Amino acid sequence: MSATDGMSLRCEGLGFSYEEAGVPIPALRDVGVELPAGRSLALLGASGSGKSTLLQLIKGLDAPETGRVVLDGCAPDSPGYAGLQREVGIVFQAPELQLFATSAWEDVAFGPRRLGREEAEVRRAVDEAMALVGLPPEEFAARHPYALSGGEQRRLALAGVLAMQPRLLLLDEPFVSLDPATRRQLTAVCSRLRASGVTLVLATHDVDIAWTLCDDLLVLEEGRVLASGVWDAEGSGRALRSTPRLREPFLVALWRRLGRDPARAPRTHAEAAEALR
Amino acid sequence: MTPPHDASDAPTAEPAEAGPGPHAGPALELRGLRYRYPGAAVDALAGVDLAVAVGESVAVVGANGSGKSTLARLLGGLERPASAESAVVCGHDLLTDDGRMAARRDVGVLFQNPENQLVAQCVEEDVAFGLENLRWRPDDMRRRVDAMLARFRLTDLRSREPHLLSGGQKQRTALAGVLAVPRRVVVLDEPTAMLDPAGREEVLQAVAGLRADGLTVVLVTQEMDEVVGVDRVVALEAGSVAYEGGVSGLFADTALVRRLSLALPAAADLALELAARGRSLKPLPLTLDELTTALEASG
Repeated sequence: MSATDGMSLRCEGLGFSYEEAGVPIPALRDVGVELPAGRSLALLGASGSGKSTLLQLIKGLDAPETGRVVLDGCAPDSPGYAGLQREVGIVFQAPELQLFATSAWEDVAFGPRRLGREEAEVRRAVDEAMALVGLPPEEFAARHPYALSGGEQRRLALAGVLAMQPRLLLLDEPFVSLDPATRRQLTAVCSRLRASGVTLVLATHDVDIAWTLCDDLLVLEEGRVLASGVWDAEGSGRALRSTPRLREPFLVALWRRLGRDPARAPRTHAEAAEALR
Repeated sequence: MTPPHDASDAPTAEPAEAGPGPHAGPALELRGLRYRYPGAAVDALAGVDLAVAVGESVAVVGANGSGKSTLARLLGGLERPASAESAVVCGHDLLTDDGRMAARRDVGVLFQNPENQLVAQCVEEDVAFGLENLRWRPDDMRRRVDAMLARFRLTDLRSREPHLLSGGQKQRTALAGVLAVPRRVVVLDEPTAMLDPAGREEVLQAVAGLRADGLTVVLVTQEMDEVVGVDRVVALEAGSVAYEGGVSGLFADTALVRRLSLALPAAADLALELAARGRSLKPLPLTLDELTTALEASG
């Protein structure tokens, strides 16, 4: 895919609560994030730790009660901020539930058309996005979204977001319920996006996929930042060991078991096999 | 605990984990089971043969769209089979309306998405929902619900509205509700997909506990690490059984694993990468423990 000028992200002191029977339940407390353009961030934390809420605040779907989200160095009161927000793509959990058009191609085209793109540009973006997620338009364009398999629907929904050419992409548990082969395909798509320069935030419970894809780490616990920064197994990554509801990546745990330096644990099985051969 | 009250459709035995008493024969026996969704061009299940013994645990794996969830719904008596030479679950014939109704009582099904299963105003009401429908006595119901809340660490959340729960909490609530009603067979359709690592471990331990209590468990999963440890694995491909047998037998056939859109457990995958580089570990390790031991033993 073509190179993308990724967007930098800075969250400053974000706070947010949900209300239950009139009582505020804090979801995020003083959360800070610093993610340079083009880097990929693993957002890890137990269920209910605030991962999805943080993604929604970054996209601007909810307004934080405290703090602010700075995109490409622009604060929310800057004149170009709304335009930057439109360049933030978000893929929700189970995004296939939002498919609605009568053909796969039309579903993917909905977003870029809504952004007011020229039809020729829409065509190019849709074709490219469908190819990128492994649903080549020559084969899938006319298919009804509901006639696709679960994994194909998930990838189609992702294509719908990618067709809007986001510079910052937020993914909320994208691998849930996918078969291993589809998970591998989607991991490869994320890897290509990362290589193209898109800034990536990946909220997931799959710490092993996150370890292969992400440079940086943000660990949330009950809405607070437990660890952040470059993902170093013996630095920021130690939080994954000390938090009872989380776990370290398989390869880090293996390196520790074998008495090797976890800080130098490989990112892929191929790298691990090279080191152990 | 005393039996529930005298409603004619109430279970007649003690509401223990193992369900309302034993029955003769296998927990489930399917021959040539077919199902097709309305308007679909092909069968979702194209002649499934499967027998599961009482107390056995079986993992069902396969690509998205291979028929796993359809099979789960049929086992729970929730759909009428298109046809079958035989389809018997807990002694109930799934080909008859009465049989399917009876199967719904004995077979608990937990679906992929707990959102679709939570119906009440708060967690404890949700857990009690099935028991209320079966008209359990209030004291029995309260004890049973308390036990389920404790088992799934939901006691502190008992008054919370389900829509305010996290995904993991919702799934635990749904599971507690399914298991509140005494069952003979539990069909779990990707029960851990939305849980964090600890929540996943917690549910898997609960499932192991159910097996120890004598329940028959059918675990539909995409997590290859969860397959390790069940008695038997069944792999579906386009609505038919493509593999049935031991766990290590499936993972030893890497060509089949690839064809079925599956994967190897992480330990086995790394072991094959090593084998491709000339360092072979035998037998194929399936867990981190086995891999560590094999690597240390082979120097």
